[in-house]
Amino acid sequence: MNILSFAIRNVKRNWHRTLVTTSAMGFAGMIMILYASLMEGLFQASERNAVAMDLGDIQIHAHGYRRDPDLYTRIADANHLVQSLQQAGLHATQRLYGFGLAAAGSSSAGVQLRGIDLKNETTVTQIHRHLMQGRWLDRSDPHGVVVGRKLARTLNVKVGDEVVIVSQATDGSMANDLYRVRGILKSVGEEIDRAGFFMIAPAFRELMVLPEGAHEITIMRPERSASLEAATTAVKTLAPRYEVMSWRELRPLIAAILGLADTHILFALLVTYVAVAMVVLNAMLMSVFERIHEFGVMKAIGFGPGQLTLLVYTETLIQVAAASVLALLGGLPLSGFFERHGIDLSAFVSSVSFAGIALDPVWQAYVTRRSVVMPIVALFVIAGIAVIYPAVKAAVIRPVKAIYYR
Amino acid sequence: MKPLNANEPPHEHIVRLEDVSKIYQQGKIQVRAVDNLSLDIDTGDFCALCGPSGSGKTTVLNLIGGLDVPTQGKVFLENQDLGDLNGAEIARIRRDRIGFVFQAYNLIPVMTAYENAEFVLKLQGRPERECRDRVMAILTEVGLAGLEHRRPDEMSGGQQQRVAIARAIVTQPAVVLADEPTANVDSATADSLLDLMQRLNREDGVTFLFSSHDQRVMDRARRLIRLRDGRLGSDEVRP
Ligand SMILES: Nc1ncnc2c1ncn2[C@@H]1O[C@H](COP(=O)(O)OP(=O)(O)O)[C@@H](O)[C@H]1O
Ligand SMILES: [Mg+2]
Repeated sequence: MNILSFAIRNVKRNWHRTLVTTSAMGFAGMIMILYASLMEGLFQASERNAVAMDLGDIQIHAHGYRRDPDLYTRIADANHLVQSLQQAGLHATQRLYGFGLAAAGSSSAGVQLRGIDLKNETTVTQIHRHLMQGRWLDRSDPHGVVVGRKLARTLNVKVGDEVVIVSQATDGSMANDLYRVRGILKSVGEEIDRAGFFMIAPAFRELMVLPEGAHEITIMRPERSASLEAATTAVKTLAPRYEVMSWRELRPLIAAILGLADTHILFALLVTYVAVAMVVLNAMLMSVFERIHEFGVMKAIGFGPGQLTLLVYTETLIQVAAASVLALLGGLPLSGFFERHGIDLSAFVSSVSFAGIALDPVWQAYVTRRSVVMPIVALFVIAGIAVIYPAVKAAVIRPVKAIYYR
Repeated sequence: MKPLNANEPPHEHIVRLEDVSKIYQQGKIQVRAVDNLSLDIDTGDFCALCGPSGSGKTTVLNLIGGLDVPTQGKVFLENQDLGDLNGAEIARIRRDRIGFVFQAYNLIPVMTAYENAEFVLKLQGRPERECRDRVMAILTEVGLAGLEHRRPDEMSGGQQQRVAIARAIVTQPAVVLADEPTANVDSATADSLLDLMQRLNREDGVTFLFSSHDQRVMDRARRLIRLRDGRLGSDEVRP
């Protein structure tokens, strides 16, 4: 009889204990698959919001602009550069930035003016779909603007209200004009929420007397095709005279936090599985102790210590394997449910943010290979560690003692 | 393992004890379980180790079987000094050259009679076919034909001991060591087990060394070794 079928029979022998052990492990595994999927969802949403709403994958600036965002520090051949990036298969859009003072009624606030290339911006970011109220910018409405969520509150404006902008144009003249709020954004991120003032590029150029060039070109890989590093290198060769940076370089803190997803999930797994380890340790120790005599006889007639260790391990792994099936049968549908429906947190909190990135209040799970494989692999590893002691205990049994053990 | 000297006569003494003592430390007192015992067991012996409880029978069998090591003296099995061997080598000798029958609970509960009898052959890595032929022949010989698929809890105590005897002899060991093999069964069953062992000894030449404190068992032995406080009391061979 081989070790596997021997172990299976031993596992079935005390089926009551096996059932308890296996379902405890299976339940923990199921919960951890759900937890890992929710965390994946959180990290994915954070990255998506950081990148897809504003940052893009890669940005180009004139050297020095990021340190000192001066109206005059521009990418002169922005039109041409955007074209060649698009020819290289990338999505690219140019942006204009300026600062001004906004006033509406008796309220005022400093704003970041953003001139948007309507056609190209929609290929790069999803911000045009991220409105809380009203509608996105439109070419036929040059004085219609979209504002950040907190800014709207500060200025106390609704869709349709007027806002006056005062700034200084590139020619030194006083820039001022009257705009009407077309839309108010959902939460995107602190900067845009507080100060984002979006207008179409021609309106920006007219206001600031800035006929050509752009302050920033934002690029997105189509469908996350090439690796971020490879795409960044490609962009660098296309724009050798400018500063080219990936979003990870632009926001190292966010990149670092999101890079900790693995560590985060692993840590939670370890903490939760300590309980699992206890269950396994206890169950296997009991099962070894109640078979001391039997193991003694087996060793006396030639069953080796290594084989005994293998037997105890196999018995454990059979139970972990059964528990994994339970964990998958429970955890996958459960996580799938929360992937489709999400957990609506809006009833509890007004705004949700993670690592400084504003999030949708509906928290969705995201089932990835990692969110399924890590809890299962960790279950095997933890059980494997927990059973070391019982297995060694079995291996070092001395037959002369064990056989006369009562 | 040391190679056996080819010029030596082939194991006239299968087992030899030379001035063997076994001292157990029990708290502050020392217990001399075996005291300066010298003894030979020959091929084909049907030998009973007798004496009251505590006289050292189990200890002697454990020393011969390599389950325990003597405090003093030497134990030889087929001219091999067990004291010269490491743990793995002794384990191999136990597996290949010794058959064990214990007082009770000899069998692996989740295995059938067939699988229990086959267990050591499988550990030896014998081919499937050889295992089957030998196990079926032995089970028939010990009177268990038809009960191959029973598990221990589906058999009587006597039947379980028969499986244990089958398992002990299926590997054709040099000696079968049986520690009070009949102590847990009724006297009729004990008789039939002794009949079986006697027949295996006469017909197949299996060497048996078994312990007992039961007078009727002693009466059946061809050779009777009496122990008293771990020392040799008497050693008689009967016609
Ligand atoms: N592991 C042990 N530790 C201490 N004393 C022991 C141990 N095993 C046996 N003894 C003692 O050694 C003596 C002989 O025991 P044993 O060989 O079991 O005798 P028997 O089998 O004839 O009843 C007894 O006095 C017993 O108490
Ligand atoms: Mg005894």
